[in-house]
Amino acid sequence: MTSRRLEERRIAFQRYKDDVKREGKPFYPYAMFHDTVMSLVVVSVIVGLAFVWHYTDLLGPSLAAKADPGTTSFVPRPDWYFYFLFYLLRIFKWPNSVILGTVGIPTILLIVLIAMPFIDLRAERRLLRRPIAIVAAVLVALSMGVLTYKGATAKEPLGAELRAAVPGWVKQEKLPSNAVPGANLFATSGCLNCHTYLGSGGSQLGAPNLSAEGAKNKGITFQISHLKCPSCVNKGSPMPSFADFGEANLRKLATFLEASKGPK
Amino acid sequence: MPRKRNRKEQMLAAAQYPLDWLEERSGLIGGVRYFLFRKVPGDSGWWHTLGSATLTAFLVQLGTGVILAMYYQPDPNSAYESVQHITNDVTLGWLVRGMHRWGASIFIILMFFHMARVFLFGAYKYPRELNWIVGALLLPTALLEGFSGYLLPYDQTAYWATVVGININGTAPFLGPFLASFLRGGAEIGPDTLARFYSLHMLLLPGAILGLIGLHLYLVVRLGVSSPPWSEEAAGRERDEPPPVPGTGLVNPAPRGVTKRPD
Repeated sequence: MTSRRLEERRIAFQRYKDDVKREGKPFYPYAMFHDTVMSLVVVSVIVGLAFVWHYTDLLGPSLAAKADPGTTSFVPRPDWYFYFLFYLLRIFKWPNSVILGTVGIPTILLIVLIAMPFIDLRAERRLLRRPIAIVAAVLVALSMGVLTYKGATAKEPLGAELRAAVPGWVKQEKLPSNAVPGANLFATSGCLNCHTYLGSGGSQLGAPNLSAEGAKNKGITFQISHLKCPSCVNKGSPMPSFADFGEANLRKLATFLEASKGPK
Repeated sequence: MPRKRNRKEQMLAAAQYPLDWLEERSGLIGGVRYFLFRKVPGDSGWWHTLGSATLTAFLVQLGTGVILAMYYQPDPNSAYESVQHITNDVTLGWLVRGMHRWGASIFIILMFFHMARVFLFGAYKYPRELNWIVGALLLPTALLEGFSGYLLPYDQTAYWATVVGININGTAPFLGPFLASFLRGGAEIGPDTLARFYSLHMLLLPGAILGLIGLHLYLVVRLGVSSPPWSEEAAGRERDEPPPVPGTGLVNPAPRGVTKRPD
């Protein structure tokens, strides 16, 4: 026995096919005309963007500096259509629930997306009679828009500006003098592209606030081995390795981090 | 006079001959005719162009990508310089690279718009569920294509975004670490990573996208285009009254294209 609903759907689809056959218009030239115009618009927009990119600075530089694995300053910025995913990372606390942001939510969203026809089983197509679908669509569009916007406007701190903040850190955190070289290194080495420290930093990727990192008393040895290979120490950490900095610099950084017991 | 008409007919037949030859052996001409002259709902309009617009953006990517591959060198020591060469020296290289760079964004945007249109029109409902799934698989495949292409210029932005991107892959349970080390081609990002991304970006992912698009289009043609839900025309219009109770096979047969299981 086929269910009544399935039977109704088949009849409705057959009626649709008969209606289209009787009253529809041929794809060529009618729909083809619309498609061709739209395709021309698309190609023109793409060519236009290429021109704007080449002749103006509006769309950013054509190339950044050559890739340098041993660099001390970098901005891990994905292409703009990944901003919404990257910005998700800010919502979750490190390190325990970060996996929700990196893998959990995107995977769930993808599964829901693929399973959509089996979640929404009603035949109704008129929008006003699908309130849940409208709300869901608006929420998804809104949250993706906001996350993309936040990702796009997240500030990339400049090393020079951050260096100027170091005396303030020394004052607020009562840093000992042996922590100052590390503080300068910290400010100018791109750490603040992901992390925050006393309100400085972009925290684009939602990496933890390090203002009170030293309060955890993990020790300088731990900090150095963490900087060398973050994911070895903190399983699943997406932080890149800073082993290329060299032992002396890492020790400075570690000293600074351990001295940071939070603002006093 | 009859002789002249005879010649005209002969010319026509000669022009027709290759087409007839092809049709007899492949049925392609009939297929194209079916594709072009199939009926679509009378009020399908601009909303229905988003899919073909996405396809156009993808074709731009294919064309410009082939040209870029002629000059690009997937080697960490020369990749950056080859992109500079394309941008600065190759005739219209900046245009081709710019189109490829921004075509990717347009491709992704249009894909989201197309998906939103299909969702709001309820066009993923019976019997088009499978086509929605194919489209939903195209989305992550295209995003991966964007991710793998982002590394290729091998500048600082590309490099470090990829480092973090791969590390994020690595946080996934079970498969994550394997996936991350597969993408890196080892424990650390190195020369193998670039070659790997190049191969994925040029062969595997575009091939997957082409295959999925083929399936997508086949299903569109087979099942027909759905009319807008507000349609005033007969085709596909929603009706409030329940449809008539199905009769037996002869009077009210199961629709074509849908296999009816024996009751």
